[in-house]
Amino acid sequence: MRPSMRVLHPSLRDRVIDESMDVLARLGVQVEDPGARQRLEAIGLRADPTTHRIQIPRTLVEQALVTAPSSVTLHDREGRPAAVVGGDEVHFVPASSALRVLDRHTQQVRDPNSADFVEYVKLGHGLPNLSYLSTAFIPKDVPQDIADAWRLYLVAAHSTRPIVSGAFTAWGVPRMGQIMAMFRSGRDDLAARPMALFTVCPNTPLRWGEDPIANLMDCAEWGIPVEIVPVLLLGMISPATTVGALVLHTAEVLSGLTIAQLVRPGTPIVFGGAPASFHMQLMSNPMTAVEALQLYCAYAEVAKHLGLPSQAYMALSDSKFNDPQAGMETGVGAFLAALAGINSVSGPGMLDYVNCFSLEKLVFDDEVVAHARRFIRPVEVREDLPAGPLLEELIRDKHLLMSDHTLAHWPEELYLPGPMVDRTNWDQWEGQGSRTWRDRALDQIDEILGRYEEAPLPDALHAEIRGLISRTGLEPGAALPMLGGVR
Amino acid sequence: MIDYAEMNQLLFEGQHEALKRMTEEALAAGRPPTEVLEEGLIAGMAVVGEDFKHNRIYVPEVLLAARAMKAGMAVLQPLLTSRPGGAGSAGVIVMGTVKGDLHDIGKNLVGMMAEGSGFTVVDLGTDTSAEQYIEAVRRHDARILGMSALLTTTMIYMRTVVQAMKAAGLEHVKICVGGAPVSADYARQIGADGYAADAASAVELFRRLIAERPAAAEAGPA
Ligand code: B12
Repeated sequence: MRPSMRVLHPSLRDRVIDESMDVLARLGVQVEDPGARQRLEAIGLRADPTTHRIQIPRTLVEQALVTAPSSVTLHDREGRPAAVVGGDEVHFVPASSALRVLDRHTQQVRDPNSADFVEYVKLGHGLPNLSYLSTAFIPKDVPQDIADAWRLYLVAAHSTRPIVSGAFTAWGVPRMGQIMAMFRSGRDDLAARPMALFTVCPNTPLRWGEDPIANLMDCAEWGIPVEIVPVLLLGMISPATTVGALVLHTAEVLSGLTIAQLVRPGTPIVFGGAPASFHMQLMSNPMTAVEALQLYCAYAEVAKHLGLPSQAYMALSDSKFNDPQAGMETGVGAFLAALAGINSVSGPGMLDYVNCFSLEKLVFDDEVVAHARRFIRPVEVREDLPAGPLLEELIRDKHLLMSDHTLAHWPEELYLPGPMVDRTNWDQWEGQGSRTWRDRALDQIDEILGRYEEAPLPDALHAEIRGLISRTGLEPGAALPMLGGVR
Repeated sequence: MIDYAEMNQLLFEGQHEALKRMTEEALAAGRPPTEVLEEGLIAGMAVVGEDFKHNRIYVPEVLLAARAMKAGMAVLQPLLTSRPGGAGSAGVIVMGTVKGDLHDIGKNLVGMMAEGSGFTVVDLGTDTSAEQYIEAVRRHDARILGMSALLTTTMIYMRTVVQAMKAAGLEHVKICVGGAPVSADYARQIGADGYAADAASAVELFRRLIAERPAAAEAGPA
């Protein structure tokens, strides 16, 4: 049995699902953009001409739940299956789209550039416990309208791993789709072997903004898997209480799911979320607030019951630095996400209300992830029942260090953490130079970057992608940054 | 005799209807509008501000009080507007989230808090173009333009608006910017007049800019 946890009584969970469908049928979702409304009308979703709300009948939602797949397999750059998002799988991936980075040399918070981003990709590529990479932050040294395509390209240029990403403009997805299709034999092949999962956010409460709705429908047309990520702020743009928030959250995800299935049945949709609390004094939005954590675990149960893959912004911190608060928030979030069986957990590396990314945190969090994943390994009988003979051996020999049983099982059972967790005693620690966690993190980063080996892309492919990005987003005469590995 | 302490209490409790009634009664009893404003409303709001600062009350209570303040102001406004820049309306602020951006939570909070401090806020919503800002600033004779942006793709549009405001001859209108990717540095770079990191300091910023305006206006044309 896999260790797991529950926060909802099954009857309450069913009631929530029922209510959310009711909400979609009665209140529906609002779409202000006329272009999007036209596209929706073409797939049979008509908006009220004055309120611009689209009521979504229960039968449509139920039909969409039938065609939405229960899992999606992300493939690497080369087209090999890399991670199944669904079932009991629990994957961790760096959180996405920070505005700033915490410079590891100066400890200053600053704007990121493309060189920072490439360094992040190389580091993430070498971290063993992350299942795939995200476009973690946004380089500021390129025009921002192309930043979405640019960072997708930078990940694919420096790592073979699958990617969690998203578009920044209403027209962003097709260009990114074209880039990804260059790694496949074409669009159909890309849909069959997706290399990225795209984030799309409804505009809580029950609205779809111009960019996200265009992104959602474009992804569905391209067959790009989508994680639908509502951002409720409890007490602000959501009921303050868990059940009311859960109904709203579920309704928003189901609205996006239904739209995507109408555009293209079978589009993989991940039931995601980044709900946060609302601080009634400071007006900040902590995603690691304890009440938000409860909501995350609750919606994961709803997702599982609906047979959908799940995603969450957990295993991150709202702290500004890598301090005890960051450790607590990240560790607690990672363990809860693992126990809730969330399939894709976006978090490692992130600080400051998803505003700031830190490489030291990323190496530290990789270790947190290893712990959380180890914890949910099923507890099974391993030649230890009946226990009598083993205990007789222990009494006779006074220890089991050389026992066949130990030799067979300890490497699997006793997890040896990497250098980010200090297990020395005091004298050993002093003897090794009294190194702090930061010293060790910086070493780790250097070491991983030092052994990074590029799996280079063909020059022609570099040129093709850069050409596409330049053509579709650069002013005449402007140039994209040249970086290591790019000729 | 009007009991201003009771008005203050109603305001503190966010009882907007009762406060509106008392404001009308005070005027009917012949009290001067400026006195009602100062002693009935502003004095009450000062306590709200203090208590909020010291964690004795929280955002919902502040917003309830702000709504009550607005209700009282609606009664006084027509009698005070003949004195632009006077103690009446603290001034008109045009607010909006910039083009391409739909993040409006922070902007809405700033707007509500500003209204609670006596400003008249004209909210243009989200996805606002330079033309829309300028049109609204002109139409409402705004003294402050507040722009919000939460995306690195959209914050750059703030510069466009600052330039368009200048080109439209609206240099005298103070421009304030805010939102997670924006900073005081960035505000300076694009030629905006102010930046604030949260709603409470935004209101202080608005007050400061309004207060320094006359001096700037005198110095301006010379
Ligand atoms: C909530 C949220 C959303 C909601 C917005 C709901 C709404 N109605 O506003 C939804 C889910 C719709 C959303 C959508 C998207 N979002 Co968003 N969002 C956020 C989030 C988590 C919180 C913002 C917030 O409301 N904070 C709470 C309020 C109270 O704080 P505030 O906005 O900072 O406002 C305060 C101050 O800044 C100041 N202030 C604000 N405005 C003004 C104005 C003036 C004049 C002054 C003086 C002061 C001032 O006072 C306010 C009150 O104290 C931020 C991350 C973050 N922590 O900032 C990401 C974030 C801004 N979003 C992000 C992204 C990427 C997106 C999407 C593109 C995602 C997608 N692929 O679909 C879309 C964008 C669509 C679009 N075109 O706009 C990124 C931005 C990345 C970047 N580099 O640009 C962020 C940083 C998150 C992340 N790391 O991914 N988002």
